[in-house]
Amino acid sequence: MFTDGFGHFVTGDSAAIAIAAKAVWNQRLESVMMRKRITTRLAVAAGLAALAITAISPALAVPSFARQTGQECIACHVSFPELTPYGRYFKLTGYTIGKTFVSSAGFNYVPLAVMAQASVTNTRNNHATDPDTGDTVTVNQRNNSAVFSAGSVFLATKVNDYVGGFIQWTYDNLATTANGTLGGHSGIDNTDLRAAGKYSSPGAAEPDLIYGLTLNNNPTSQDAWNSTPAFGFPYTASPLAQTPAAATQIDGGLAQQVAGAGGYLWWKKMVYGELSFYHTADGAFSILRSGQDIHTDGGVAAIQNWNNPYWRFALSHDWGANSVMVGTYGMIVNRYPSNFDPSTATDRYRDIAVDAQYQYITDPHTFTAQATYINERQSYNASYAAVKETGAGIGAGPTPENPTDTLKTFKLKGTYYRDRKYGGTLAYFSTTGSADGGLYGTDADGNARTPNSKGYIIELDYLPTQNVRLMLQYTGYNKFDGAKSNYDGNGRNAGDNNTAFFNVWVAF
Amino acid sequence: MKHIGMAIVGAVLAASVTAANAQNTAADIERQKAGEEKAVNLCSTCHGPRGISTSPEFPILAAQRRGYLEAQLEVFRAKTREEKIAHDFMWGIAGNLDDPMIDSVARYYAAQPPAPGKPGDPTLIAKGKQLFEQGVPGRGIPACANCHGADAAGVADFPRLAGQHAKYIVKQIEYIQALVRKAPVMHGIVKDMTPAEMQAVAAYVQSK
Repeated sequence: MFTDGFGHFVTGDSAAIAIAAKAVWNQRLESVMMRKRITTRLAVAAGLAALAITAISPALAVPSFARQTGQECIACHVSFPELTPYGRYFKLTGYTIGKTFVSSAGFNYVPLAVMAQASVTNTRNNHATDPDTGDTVTVNQRNNSAVFSAGSVFLATKVNDYVGGFIQWTYDNLATTANGTLGGHSGIDNTDLRAAGKYSSPGAAEPDLIYGLTLNNNPTSQDAWNSTPAFGFPYTASPLAQTPAAATQIDGGLAQQVAGAGGYLWWKKMVYGELSFYHTADGAFSILRSGQDIHTDGGVAAIQNWNNPYWRFALSHDWGANSVMVGTYGMIVNRYPSNFDPSTATDRYRDIAVDAQYQYITDPHTFTAQATYINERQSYNASYAAVKETGAGIGAGPTPENPTDTLKTFKLKGTYYRDRKYGGTLAYFSTTGSADGGLYGTDADGNARTPNSKGYIIELDYLPTQNVRLMLQYTGYNKFDGAKSNYDGNGRNAGDNNTAFFNVWVAF
Repeated sequence: MKHIGMAIVGAVLAASVTAANAQNTAADIERQKAGEEKAVNLCSTCHGPRGISTSPEFPILAAQRRGYLEAQLEVFRAKTREEKIAHDFMWGIAGNLDDPMIDSVARYYAAQPPAPGKPGDPTLIAKGKQLFEQGVPGRGIPACANCHGADAAGVADFPRLAGQHAKYIVKQIEYIQALVRKAPVMHGIVKDMTPAEMQAVAAYVQSK
């Protein structure tokens, strides 16, 4: 299983896959009842899938773009990676403002950028009970220790007046290995390549139409508003923290596993529409999932080629120092339960989301807010039939008890910055969904569990310079994987996963 | 024969001059078009359609004096205008402009219709009007109108202030007062100006 490029474990698949994807320690925390539902095959997959976890590594302010434009980070970012109106224009016009790195005048700048993060994580209760042995085990293997978390290299540049993009490659120093220890792992991260143009009618004061094509490897990474998941808050999180198992497909469930191609129109900077189609990142697109685990059943997503439409519609308006957007986005994913067997029928995930963003950007005060609500309907056309017929899923695929389930996510955050230097953010998140014992296990009374989790994030930021961020983040859970208390059947409570995270984030 | 020969030479010269003028005109049109494209496709992102920005962080450029616009783009390009927003935004933008582009962008904005004035606090505006028109003789602050024109529309290369965002005006006076923005003449004029006076004169010119 994977992260969404921001250090969050993500799924949207069955709980079996989700559990397989979680850090190895977490498997030990599952209740006995839950364990009974995990087949040996899944347990093996869990260990191997953990290899594919590429923890933190947000694609954010790309300093080579700053070198390209000659402008500072704050021209495009409120605080990286959140975009200003100008940043949205830069992205949607294909990253083509400024110079190419080589021109007739010679070599203009280095089209590479580097990013690194080092951090300390405190997990509130760092001890849990191993469901197999009854032993006390460590939850966070680097609790309260300073660690180098991850580093990224970006190739980011304008190619010509119509083409530009970025490719991020990330080394994760805290990836979970098959035997449960932490080790280094590298792979591709968010990637967005574009071709774009502008049309202005004679005498127009602004472009009437901006249009373009995008090729990317994470649905919503191509979006220009930070209310959508790929570049949504939190912009980075502890790679050592425990995170809820369930998330929707569009919320990172396909990140760095798929290739999406599509086109978009932005009319008078007011009306934005996009239609893209996604394909498993294999064959000619395999570079877009480089470093992911393609050798394990359950390691990567396999979806029906191009039969996975993604859409986006947004209305935006800027006035004074204000900028507002309301929109909707969504995706239909036809996913093979087992990435090893594309000959089977598929499960269908229909994600429909609404989102909104408000920004007030002045000197010295900046306030921004984003919200999104995602409603996923999971139709286990293939997996449910298999479970009913054989008592097991397809390969390492989901093992649902219900033919259909729902999974809903709500996220809201508000951020204030002074001088783009001192910032604070409050965020709320909630995931709710159908109870399904096949996906999420059962509690001690034999009742099917839900994927419900909710909590809050408080974050303080200090940017001594525009490309250095010191961050103190606290994530608190009121509910975790279905319960407030004893969610794992071994006495662990949601609040035990509360995480304090101090992070130093540098990009140059 | 001599007269005929001179007539031919004269005709050829006239034709050459006409052709050269035609070429210049074509080149001018092309250059002007390039400037307009730059303004429409890039500058408008912050400075608004036809140079009328909505955010007070970015100055209104519509109907600004051409010479002033050129001079400012040149100092941005030379990185000698150093206030934060100039450094963060305009050094990069102006760094990619050559002289003909600076000329044509300046011509474009100078030719745009001015932004309408914005109403404000009448008391503040009245104070600002007095300062703008009469200065503060007792403290050596001359009337702004002397250089910026009675209607604040600018004179020669002295910038237009009428209709400009008050917040932008105040910030620029502060930058000049603090020598962050190097404008020796203006520094001498505003060095003793109080924040209240800045607010007042900015409210007045914004209302024009």
